Amino acid sequence: MSVAELTPPEAARWAARAGLPLPADRHAAVAAVANHIHSVVAVLRELDFGDTPPAPAYHAGEEKHDAAV
Amino acid sequence: MQPYELSLTQAADAVRARQLSPVELADSVLERIEQVEPRLQAYVTVTAEQARRAAREAENDIAAGRYRGPLHGIPMGLKDLIDVAGAATSASSRVRADHRAQADSTVAARLAAAGAVLVGKTHTHEFAYGLTTPQTNNAWDRERVAGGSSGGSAVAVAAGTATFTLGTDTGGSIRVPAALNGVVGLKPTYGLVPRHGVTSLSWSLDHVGPITRTVEDAALVLTALAGHDPHDPASLTTPAIDYRPGTGMDLTGLRVGVPRNYYFDHVDPEVEAAVRRAIAQLESLGARLVDVEIPLTRYIQATQWGLMVPEATAYHERTLRAVPELYQADVRILLEAGELMPAGDYLRAQRSRTLMRQEWARMLQYVDVIAAPTVPATAVKAGQETITWPDGTAEGVSDAYVRLSSPANITGVPSLSVPVGHDTAGLPIGMQLLGRPLGESALLRIGHAYQQTQPAPTLAPAV
Repeated sequence: MSVAELTPPEAARWAARAGLPLPADRHAAVAAVANHIHSVVAVLRELDFGDTPPAPAYHAGEEKHDAAV
Repeated sequence: MQPYELSLTQAADAVRARQLSPVELADSVLERIEQVEPRLQAYVTVTAEQARRAAREAENDIAAGRYRGPLHGIPMGLKDLIDVAGAATSASSRVRADHRAQADSTVAARLAAAGAVLVGKTHTHEFAYGLTTPQTNNAWDRERVAGGSSGGSAVAVAAGTATFTLGTDTGGSIRVPAALNGVVGLKPTYGLVPRHGVTSLSWSLDHVGPITRTVEDAALVLTALAGHDPHDPASLTTPAIDYRPGTGMDLTGLRVGVPRNYYFDHVDPEVEAAVRRAIAQLESLGARLVDVEIPLTRYIQATQWGLMVPEATAYHERTLRAVPELYQADVRILLEAGELMPAGDYLRAQRSRTLMRQEWARMLQYVDVIAAPTVPATAVKAGQETITWPDGTAEGVSDAYVRLSSPANITGVPSLSVPVGHDTAGLPIGMQLLGRPLGESALLRIGHAYQQTQPAPTLAPAV
């Protein structure tokens, strides 16, 4: 297990911090899936993003909730 | 030929010419449902009485000269993530047991305004969070997966239990089941078809689109669905156009990109052969084939997961805390694990998406479309968890099915899946055509030209 991986008690603590108390019988399974997801997304750290902004763009003033559908 | 066997275009022509009444058509489709639905399980609910009533209204309107267009009187199904006023939107989940939609989704309202007849709500992989739709059986082999998450919608169209359906697509959920069931699926450009009233899996990746028997049918449905909706913050303000392709088959001057990396890696040889034959067919129609290098492929899965996982978990925040035991095990664990993803990972995925979109735009300057397999393998047996490739690599079935379709969700480009034959086991194979943003007309033109070179599509045996 690499140092970046969460142990079951750590996964439970992180989940609790996020406001999701996990029953004890789920700690190991959630840790395993969280570690797998982490291993997939961690590859993005190789990219040098420079000034690249995140994709969502906010267009001020374009929402017209009273417009006809 | 029975009315349920007609494509949307054929049925619409017959209804307009008053050779076929919407009541006959609805009755035929409902009888077909009675025959094959017990084996397929494509529907969550079938609303036969409402459908017959709507069909009678359509018949009366058309008889009185109030013909609304090609969807008038046509039986269709909606993936059960799509709100219809007064009906449950179950998301194929026990979490939604007591749900009732207060209003129509924008797409349901637009189809109703076009006169389409709702026959029922179709199964999804629970909350669209999966690629198999385990409740539903493949239309060509009931021992095999339907694909997902719009599995019910694709199976219904393939088996003749709906003349067309709508699905949703966050990583491939329209195109994957379309390919695995031998029908056409269109994921439009991000923001072209409004999502208001459609249960989200991942806001920044979600799309709604048609599943049909022919490319021409998909164009008819898209024409009714597309257009700005102020209730969807991602909705584009593009003018409404008629997407119906012309009858011309000449593709002279079109440049079709053929990927030299990624899209043909770890692809079943029979799938690759069928897609390359179809690409050769495009060349014989006059298209020029151009080698293309797909950019940033190492980061596709990471970007897809980095966006989808935390967005899905955020959507389910309340119910995951209130009724976690009502979710299916595979969905619950993904939602729980998503709580543990740091914001930094999500932002990296959003920044990676910016890079990917820029690089895809650059690539699409040199070609009009890209042609590739929709999925790397045909439908696997229900319960099969991995696919082993000839080099010994094992890949999860869901990872494999989403691998070639997710780039269009990340970049928002349109993608059309078209059937291009069957493997030796008789299972359908799909080719996807990817285009420039708002390049639907080019995809539909090329897909339609290709289909005209092929025998007319037949329904799945549904046995």
